Amino acid sequence: VRGPAGPGLSAPCLCRRERVRAMFYHAYEHYLESAFPYDELRPLTCDGQDTWGSFSLTLIDALDTLLILGNVSEFQRVVNVLQDGVDFDIDVNASVFETNIRVVGGLLSAHLLSRKAGLEVEAGWPCSGPLLRMAEEAARKLLPAFQTPTGMPYGTVNLLHGVNPGETPVTCTAGIGTFIVEFATLSHLTGDPVFEDVARKALKALWKNRSDIGLVGNHIDVVTAKWVAQDAGIGAGVDSYFEYLVKGAILLQDKELMSMFLEYNKAIKNYTKFDDWYLWVQMYKGTVSMPVFQSLEAYWPGLQSLIGDVDNAMRTFLNYYTVWKQFGGLPEFYNIPQGYTVDKREGYPLRPELIESAMYLYRATRDPTLLELGRDAVESIEKISKVDCGFATIKDLRDHRLDNRMESFFLAETIKYLYLLFDPDNFIHNDGSDFDVVVTPFGECVLSAGGYIFNTEAHPIDPAALHCCRKRKQEQWEVEDLMREFYSRKKSKKFTLKRAPDRGEGENAKDPEDASSEKAGEKRNSKKSSHSLLSCPSQSFNSKLAVLGQVFLDNT
Amino acid sequence: AAPRLRPRAALMARRPELLCGAAILLGCAFLVALKVTCSRAKDVTMPAKLPVNFFSTRSPVIDLFRGQLDYADQLRQDSEIVLYFFYAPWCGQSIAAREEIEHVASRLSDQVLFVAVNCWWNQGKCRKQKHFFYFPVIHLYHRSFGPIEYKGPMSAVYIEKFVRRVMTPLLYISSRSKLLDFLSNYEPGVVGFFEFNASPQPPGYLTFFTSALHSLKKDYLGTIRFGVVTDKRVAEEISLVHSGSVYLHRHANTSLIYPKDIMNFTAENICKWALENREMLIRWLRPHGGKSLLLNNELKKGPALLIFIPYNPLEEIHPLLDEITKVALEYHKCNKSQAAEPDLQHVGDSDSPAFDSSVTDAHAKFSETFPIAKSPCCNTVVLPQWHSISRTHNVCELCVNQTLGVKPNKVHVPHCNFLEIEAALDSFYLQEHTFFQVISNTIECSNFLSFYSPFSYYTACCRTVNRHFLSFISSEKTIFQTPKVAFSSHGKKDNTQFSIPHIEDRNCFIPDLNISSTNITGLSCRTNKTLNLYLLDSNLFWIYAERLGASRSTHLKEFAAIVDLKEEVHYVLDQNQSLVGPTL
Repeated sequence: VRGPAGPGLSAPCLCRRERVRAMFYHAYEHYLESAFPYDELRPLTCDGQDTWGSFSLTLIDALDTLLILGNVSEFQRVVNVLQDGVDFDIDVNASVFETNIRVVGGLLSAHLLSRKAGLEVEAGWPCSGPLLRMAEEAARKLLPAFQTPTGMPYGTVNLLHGVNPGETPVTCTAGIGTFIVEFATLSHLTGDPVFEDVARKALKALWKNRSDIGLVGNHIDVVTAKWVAQDAGIGAGVDSYFEYLVKGAILLQDKELMSMFLEYNKAIKNYTKFDDWYLWVQMYKGTVSMPVFQSLEAYWPGLQSLIGDVDNAMRTFLNYYTVWKQFGGLPEFYNIPQGYTVDKREGYPLRPELIESAMYLYRATRDPTLLELGRDAVESIEKISKVDCGFATIKDLRDHRLDNRMESFFLAETIKYLYLLFDPDNFIHNDGSDFDVVVTPFGECVLSAGGYIFNTEAHPIDPAALHCCRKRKQEQWEVEDLMREFYSRKKSKKFTLKRAPDRGEGENAKDPEDASSEKAGEKRNSKKSSHSLLSCPSQSFNSKLAVLGQVFLDNT
Repeated sequence: AAPRLRPRAALMARRPELLCGAAILLGCAFLVALKVTCSRAKDVTMPAKLPVNFFSTRSPVIDLFRGQLDYADQLRQDSEIVLYFFYAPWCGQSIAAREEIEHVASRLSDQVLFVAVNCWWNQGKCRKQKHFFYFPVIHLYHRSFGPIEYKGPMSAVYIEKFVRRVMTPLLYISSRSKLLDFLSNYEPGVVGFFEFNASPQPPGYLTFFTSALHSLKKDYLGTIRFGVVTDKRVAEEISLVHSGSVYLHRHANTSLIYPKDIMNFTAENICKWALENREMLIRWLRPHGGKSLLLNNELKKGPALLIFIPYNPLEEIHPLLDEITKVALEYHKCNKSQAAEPDLQHVGDSDSPAFDSSVTDAHAKFSETFPIAKSPCCNTVVLPQWHSISRTHNVCELCVNQTLGVKPNKVHVPHCNFLEIEAALDSFYLQEHTFFQVISNTIECSNFLSFYSPFSYYTACCRTVNRHFLSFISSEKTIFQTPKVAFSSHGKKDNTQFSIPHIEDRNCFIPDLNISSTNITGLSCRTNKTLNLYLLDSNLFWIYAERLGASRSTHLKEFAAIVDLKEEVHYVLDQNQSLVGPTL
């Protein structure tokens, strides 16, 4: 088994990891000092402001990063602060999408990690708990938005009064299709199916409204189901819809979601892919409308690695990396033929997407190039955007002028993925070699075995938890069998638990040479061929040598 | 929710005051730097920090951190050789390369001027005039010639080597032995002959000199070496009679003389001609780290032997490399008459008479007079394991030797007929007991007549090979684990056990060179599968070796593997075996 002693272990020197840790605390402490309880820190003026609501957003978003950095005591302190201080019964117009991914997602992951963080959990955990109740409360505030003729949600909702009269019915695609991970988790944990149902209904509505050539635009009228903006691509306005089809499929072992994604993937390859770049096209005709690369699109290689398409992922990643090298960050829009930024879209708000892809791909390939991107990101962010009170958004990548903002995703995602890139032994990378057994009212349950699914705000969800809170005879027996097997083997030797539903994230994109994963794959295939849609293809022979920038053309 | 509301309300009440107070207070504190307008703190922005020194002030590198390109250009007058290091202060690669440049500068500062220019700061001249897509960019100037961009690895030794090449692009060859040294190198050599007697500089010399510099622009690995001969007698060794003629040396093919009558004698043309006609016995692979199809393109040419050795370009002698060169030469050595023909027309009749002798001359240093007259066709056979417990393989080299003259048409068949080998194998089997009785480390050879043809006889050289000697790693592992006779055929293409032909290549390298050197000689010509030879510096590219099965924690970073992309197999040479000629 390719354990932590992978070929790159010597390469991701721990000094870089420690630099990332220092970056986190520089920003985090200044947020607490100068900005809390506002949503975000304003690093140039050293104060705070509310941006997406009024829920101390940066604190919620950074919570699980604290644990990933190993700071248990601060995690515990913040959980207590949040329990007392955050309230969702407020007259605030909030983005349904942002509230879901940052607040609901952040609270859910904190809830699921709270036992690991040494918090005293109540008897019903993980099926109950204060953070879970908070997440549920926040999510319920969003439900009124889903009351539309199509089932697709409005973009904005008032947390106290529901959808405002006169609210625009136009929502972006991602704002409709980015709920399944959080909402399905909520439904599984609380036992109330309403969340998963509305999320699925919205996904199906999008699927039904795709164009004849299989593409979706980036804004739609949720009342009439007419596409308002017909640019199709993988970036802004659409991005996390595709992401959640894949992650939802892995989390729920749902073949339907995966086959939807694979259909989209085909159309995307056919119409938008040129030379490993992905352009924007007209969703009905497939003609190129914008030859730009967007900073947000950089999540795509990471997503490809999750479905095992590592070769294509690396090729696209290397394209994106050249843009980073040109500017020291990724501009919101980059005109590919001109090789330069696009007017009014020159900013880089310290987004995580490229680093996120590097983290996934490094798990899959151990290619040192990916650590190099990490190194470049650390240098750039420190040299360009570090100010006395935190890290400032880069307003213009051409001259590195700074803006008075530090988005909450900087601590939630950018720092987290950087740290995970440089910390190969982090518990998040667990491959199932250790786990916790929890007794719930529904029986024994295996948790923290790895295969975490990150929501689009980088909040990790333990997929195993979804199977803890429902009484299902068959599943229960399966688990009990596994437990028996485990304890009987434990006496003789170390035993690695591998179970299909626990696989996800890093594991799914695992090194093809990994003998045990290959074996597991075979076993699965022979047992149940129906799982094939959800397991990764074997990697090509030449992928062995596809490191340090080398790419191979198809063998055909 | 009611109890929770109260602290919240208190909080809200606190906010306006906090906002205003903070803004005004901080506004004053940061007024100079931030241009804060208290009323609209939202629009606060801050220009990028002013550039500061990138190199320390004590460094031998002149650091123009405000991007003063005009001053950088002025500085060029001061030194014959100038190296420009264009960097961006935020760039990780620039920061990593900084140390390397400092190291090189500390060694060469008396001969080369090192100038670093911040080409990012948008107020600086450099940023305004140059448009780079990556950093750092290294440009070299030899007087007015330049820029020569350095695209090699960002490692001090490689940079220094390149700078030294720019300093002395032409090697002065003073004697016959120096000439032989120059030509025997595995990298292609171009020699110009110029008589320095009458005028201060013979005509064409400057052009030749420039073409050497020019080649560094095109061929950043610096594979083609340029030398100059001034002694008439030395020049005659390579049949250069007239001053101003240029010679491209090749080992396996005929060497060439620059066709002045066809192409104009310009620096670009000479360089282009050398690049087009050079012979690549062994190629260095140095992936630059960016997206590239280098391996894809090279490995798709056919099976490749990748040799990983630690390499210091600054060292004068590379014994290991010489050893590998020998092997490569032997591998590529073909029937000379066959090979000499195709390129002759390229050169023209007038200059050619002395060619063959010159080639032989160059080879004399290495060649140990190989008996290749009969061009036997050989195959390696791995015998079935007699004792399943023993950890040994019997490897036999089976050759079909046809008697000359009796069947003249057969002598010209370049490679083995499948049937012949099969027949040979059959008869070999009947004799096999002779070999199994002697299991030793020596090589046993015996000749025996074919049962089917009175005109040929077979030679079988067998030796016992320790099993760990051959560690095969491939997707087809099972083939090698079954103790079955594996025999290869060159003639038959539809061999179903596709991975087997390569076992032959491999095994040919295993027996002691003393005895089997004849087998490797000209192997590239006899077999219809050519094996391309590549070198990789294990200091930089060990990861590829690891990917092919090398251990990651070895102190001696030497490794060899044959990769066949098409067949999706690769074979590795055991790492415990030292990487020397005989093993190869």
